Amino acid sequence: MVWGRLILIGTVDRREIMYYIVMQMIGEFEYLILTSAARLGRDSYGASIRREIEEATGRRCSIGALYTTLDRLEAKGFVKTWMGEPTPERGGRSKRLVEVTASGVKEASNFFRAITRISKGASWTTNRPTTR
Amino acid sequence: MDNQPADDPMISRESWPVVLWLSRWLEQSEREAVLGDLIEYGGGGRGAIANVLGLVVRRRTAVFLDWKLWVAVLLIVLPLSYLLSAVAQTAASLGAVYSWMYLNNWDWALTRDAGFWYVLREMATNFGITCMVLACWSWSGGFLMGLLPKAILRASRNVFIVLLASFQFGEAPSRVLQLWMHFRGLPLSPPIPDVNAPITANIFYRVLCPWIVLAALVALPVMSGIRQGRSLPSGWKMRVILPILAAISLLIMLTQGPGFDLLFGAAMREWLWRNRNAVQMLPILCCWPMLYFMAVGFGRYRRGKAVVAQ
Repeated sequence: MVWGRLILIGTVDRREIMYYIVMQMIGEFEYLILTSAARLGRDSYGASIRREIEEATGRRCSIGALYTTLDRLEAKGFVKTWMGEPTPERGGRSKRLVEVTASGVKEASNFFRAITRISKGASWTTNRPTTR
Repeated sequence: MDNQPADDPMISRESWPVVLWLSRWLEQSEREAVLGDLIEYGGGGRGAIANVLGLVVRRRTAVFLDWKLWVAVLLIVLPLSYLLSAVAQTAASLGAVYSWMYLNNWDWALTRDAGFWYVLREMATNFGITCMVLACWSWSGGFLMGLLPKAILRASRNVFIVLLASFQFGEAPSRVLQLWMHFRGLPLSPPIPDVNAPITANIFYRVLCPWIVLAALVALPVMSGIRQGRSLPSGWKMRVILPILAAISLLIMLTQGPGFDLLFGAAMREWLWRNRNAVQMLPILCCWPMLYFMAVGFGRYRRGKAVVAQ
């Protein structure tokens, strides 16, 4: 997976390649979850993150992908999760609440900066034709 | 208990029981969170089923990417299932022969013969010890499996059951022995007429009996051992002594596996042959779990008595 990303960006910026090798940057889905959780703040949990991602991307977000990625992010120390109190609107079931940690914020901002830098001059950011 | 999403039009009443059933494969806390998310956010009946099924599949398959599981399978689960299957097959054939001799050829006149009772006593003792030792080996194996990390324990147990059944189906011990002898360049024993043909002709003795032995003397004790291994006694002495005893038992079981003597040179094989009576007695030592259970039972009895006295 890392090599696939390297091939994609390898010709663009050597610094980005070094970043991928040394830091093992987060994936795009991980970024989506971190950003949604950060935006939602105290109201960040499985269903609300899923709703945010689906609204932002216009694509379905499966619970399987969401929860396994949340586990991965938690294992990396980028988010902290815990079970909340049961609520009536959820049939008396608890939420898995999510909070982005300081290192999670740092990773997400690194990802955002890399994406912004690497996107400079790309045809879809300058409205140029996509083919030469 | 399991509240249905009555106010949620997105998940139908028909699909909700399926969602609930599928979610039983998830950890309790995750199940709570996922069902709550589905009630709150919905996603349609089929969507909800697909979502829960997707998560269950991801969770169940994730463990197979864990290297620790494969180390446990290679070092513990595979050898254990193979050896237990081999010993269980021996016990099953012994049981089949004895049962056939008495049940299928019963004659009341025999009971008047002193020799009949002598042989019956000897056979019952022999078979009883074989069964007890097999159950204790299985329990010891399960006990060691129970010490595996929780994350890989369930998958290890499932792999064990699949391997055990496969070895039974494929008559693996005898085939592996033949393969081993072939690669070692040892002459294969010539085909001999099946002296137990009348017994193996009976489907009960040929098919059912081995499975009954496997279930009763291997699978059940292994499950009990796993449970015990997961809840080790609190004292450090027991935490050290019990695993060591279990490991020694399994090493002794190795000596009873088919073709064990082929692992050694001629001199060692001759020594094993000369001391075969002592080697055959070794498995008796493996019955320590019986003593352990008796000690635990006695301890509980004494504690109960003390509580009543207070």
